Amino acid sequence: MVVNLRPESRNLSAAGGLPLLEVRNVTFGYGLQPIFFDVCLKLAAGEMVGLLGPNGSGKTTLLRLLSGVLRPTQGKIWLQGRELGRWRRRELARVVAVVPQELHIPFDFTVEQLVALGRLPFVGLLGSYGPQDHARIEEAMRVTGVMTLAERPFNELSGGERQRVLVAMALAQQPRLLLLDEPTAHLDIRYQIEVLELVQRLNREHGLTVLAAMHDLNLAARYFPRLVLFQRGIVADGTPAAVLEPRLLSRVYGIAVQVGIVRGTAHFSVVPPGSREAQETEEEMETQEPPPRVFVMAGGGSGERVMRALADWHIPFLAGVLNIGDSDHTLALRLASRVLTEQPYAPLSQAALEELRAALATVETLIICPMYVGPGNVALLREALSVARQGRQVLLLAPETVEAEPSGAMPTPGSSCGSLPAPALLERTGIAARDYTGGEATRLVEQLLQSGARVISRLTEVLALSAA
Amino acid sequence: MKIESRTTAESPAPATTTATPIADAKAMYVRRHLTPLIFTGLVLLLPATLLAAVSNGSTAIPFTTVLQILLNGSHLFHFRQGWDPALTIIIWDLRLPEALGAALVGAGLAVAGVLFQGMLRNPLADPFLMGTSSGAALGAVIAFILPLDTTYGLFFSLTPLLAFSGALLTVLLVYAIARVGGRTPVVTLLLAGVVMNALLVAVQTLILTLSPQAQFNLQALFNWLSGGISVNSWWPVVIVGSLIMAGIGGALVLGQVLDAFALGEEGAAHLGLRVEWYKFLLIMLGSLLTAAAVSISGLIGFVGLVTPHMLRLLIGPRHRPLIAASALGGASFLTLADLLARTVIAPAVLPVGVFTALIGAPFFLYLLRQSKKEYRWS
Repeated sequence: MVVNLRPESRNLSAAGGLPLLEVRNVTFGYGLQPIFFDVCLKLAAGEMVGLLGPNGSGKTTLLRLLSGVLRPTQGKIWLQGRELGRWRRRELARVVAVVPQELHIPFDFTVEQLVALGRLPFVGLLGSYGPQDHARIEEAMRVTGVMTLAERPFNELSGGERQRVLVAMALAQQPRLLLLDEPTAHLDIRYQIEVLELVQRLNREHGLTVLAAMHDLNLAARYFPRLVLFQRGIVADGTPAAVLEPRLLSRVYGIAVQVGIVRGTAHFSVVPPGSREAQETEEEMETQEPPPRVFVMAGGGSGERVMRALADWHIPFLAGVLNIGDSDHTLALRLASRVLTEQPYAPLSQAALEELRAALATVETLIICPMYVGPGNVALLREALSVARQGRQVLLLAPETVEAEPSGAMPTPGSSCGSLPAPALLERTGIAARDYTGGEATRLVEQLLQSGARVISRLTEVLALSAA
Repeated sequence: MKIESRTTAESPAPATTTATPIADAKAMYVRRHLTPLIFTGLVLLLPATLLAAVSNGSTAIPFTTVLQILLNGSHLFHFRQGWDPALTIIIWDLRLPEALGAALVGAGLAVAGVLFQGMLRNPLADPFLMGTSSGAALGAVIAFILPLDTTYGLFFSLTPLLAFSGALLTVLLVYAIARVGGRTPVVTLLLAGVVMNALLVAVQTLILTLSPQAQFNLQALFNWLSGGISVNSWWPVVIVGSLIMAGIGGALVLGQVLDAFALGEEGAAHLGLRVEWYKFLLIMLGSLLTAAAVSISGLIGFVGLVTPHMLRLLIGPRHRPLIAASALGGASFLTLADLLARTVIAPAVLPVGVFTALIGAPFFLYLLRQSKKEYRWS
């Protein structure tokens, strides 16, 4: 069930030496509203990577950070072993070139004049174009097949031709890294293929490293050996087979899809449900799952182990309410059947609270991870209390939970801590150290224990109780 | 909405790629081979208009006489003086400075127009967009109401000085207002310019209403505001001339920057430009040119708007040739307009602004009617 997110090809290329580009723990936001958190990404030289994600997921913003137009709020980006902020603009323009989604030019520049602009980082402002520059311009136009258009005004070209000219302009910069922002967004199918074939050829024959934000999952699967799924952070990173996982996609894009190989093709296809092609797909990966009966409350990484364990044991679960950007949120998107979500850093809103109540009403087991409790999320414990009082199973994970034994069959429920006296139990939850509400959280946990909640310190036990 | 209209417009692309381009390529070919010809024409046109401007006026002087007087002035030629000696003074001390002044103003405004149009990525931008005009006008109004003889009395009259400072200070203020967090978005810049314009016009009206001195000088002020080359000695021509020449030189250096700006600010940044710094340089350079021109000419509209546009149609959008051509074209255009202003109902002198507007406004309207998709703010 848990996909292999570290494909061999990537490890091999990364092991070859310094990555061309490395994004380390980058957080970015405009003003106070963060757009994404803690992004880590490595690109080895020669890779061709597709960046996927729904509208507003921050793909374009990530590309703008990589091209140096924006600076990260936190974290650093390294290009060829040097931090991006320490590159001079002109030097950077000789290594990284950007192909925008589309370009509006107010004046009638010809194709050749535009492609020639790609030489500016080399020519300088006072300098003039030498024979080498002209050779580069010509080569860029030849490779992209726009030679015959050289004298034509850019504004009068078709969409596909314009895109090829933009690629030619980027090539004239002799970059090592080519960033493309949805290069096929406004093109019809013929030009989409044409542009992507071109990019693929540049990658294979000229060794250009490519990172492209992609809208179309099917085209991405066909042309990019490595895909990165982005939703305000990297949700998955790997081969198309690993990333185009139906449950993952449906959670990130918010629509159920089927993934498979359509007869007669060699690539993965992503198909929305209800269409005829969906019935024709082989190797159907989506399996009907029972509705989840476990709910996980976590935060700040406290839920990582239990969520992974649940997924390993094929126990479907819900998770929430988690803030966007929380590492548990990113993980839950990957593993949980459904994730209740709140805005970054925001306290629990009324809407989220009602959603939470509705979700809790459908489950039988509630797992509370050893998370920090503050004024923003203490409402979770109040809801947990009402679940406990209804006589349903509430499990409080002790902070020093022991890993589940990987071998063997489904473990049997233990009863290690049922007999401890109440104050000792409270101490075992370790809530006092995580209570940032001035005692309210501790009182709530105490009441939870009185209402029948159990303190569990072994993951195996959690799994057994959840599966029961 | 936008996407839909684009795709429908481009869906017959495969068909059109073979149909229209031949005509296009032909036009491009013609344009490319026409460019040297157009430059030659512009280079010849300027001395011709200057000569015409010097020989015509309240009294017409024959071309040959004008040429002989001018050549004698160089002390290399010694034509025998068969003309009224007063003509030498009229030509050297009155008409030539005025004609050169007009040429300089025209060149300065046209190049400023190229700079603003290129930086703002809009072919319909003009040099007065950033509040230069109202700043200069306020400076001039202040000069007119001062209790001194500011127009003729001093060694260097105060009006141009105050108009120049007014224009530059206004642009600096507009730029400072529009700058937020290390960035100066174009839209903010334009809005700040508009608001500053309104504010300064209000102040100007207030001064005019309250000051008794203003009533006295109203006619002179009106003439200044409607534009007219007012040069009565060589000094202003030399000073303004060196400022404008330096400005045009700077603009030629920044030509490639403007080409990159056509891709948008982000596109320019991707080509390695420090966008904010060059934006500041371009604004200051354009404003310097405008302020220098306005200081001896008053408010002359349409030269800075129409000249670059017309030449862009003729020689293409690359900015270095465009700046050179606009300087030549603008100079000829304004010299000619000034000549018309002086001769149409001679001996009375019409404001030059009337003629530039009479030629420029219809052309501007024609461009608007064409309303191609590129004429929009982006």
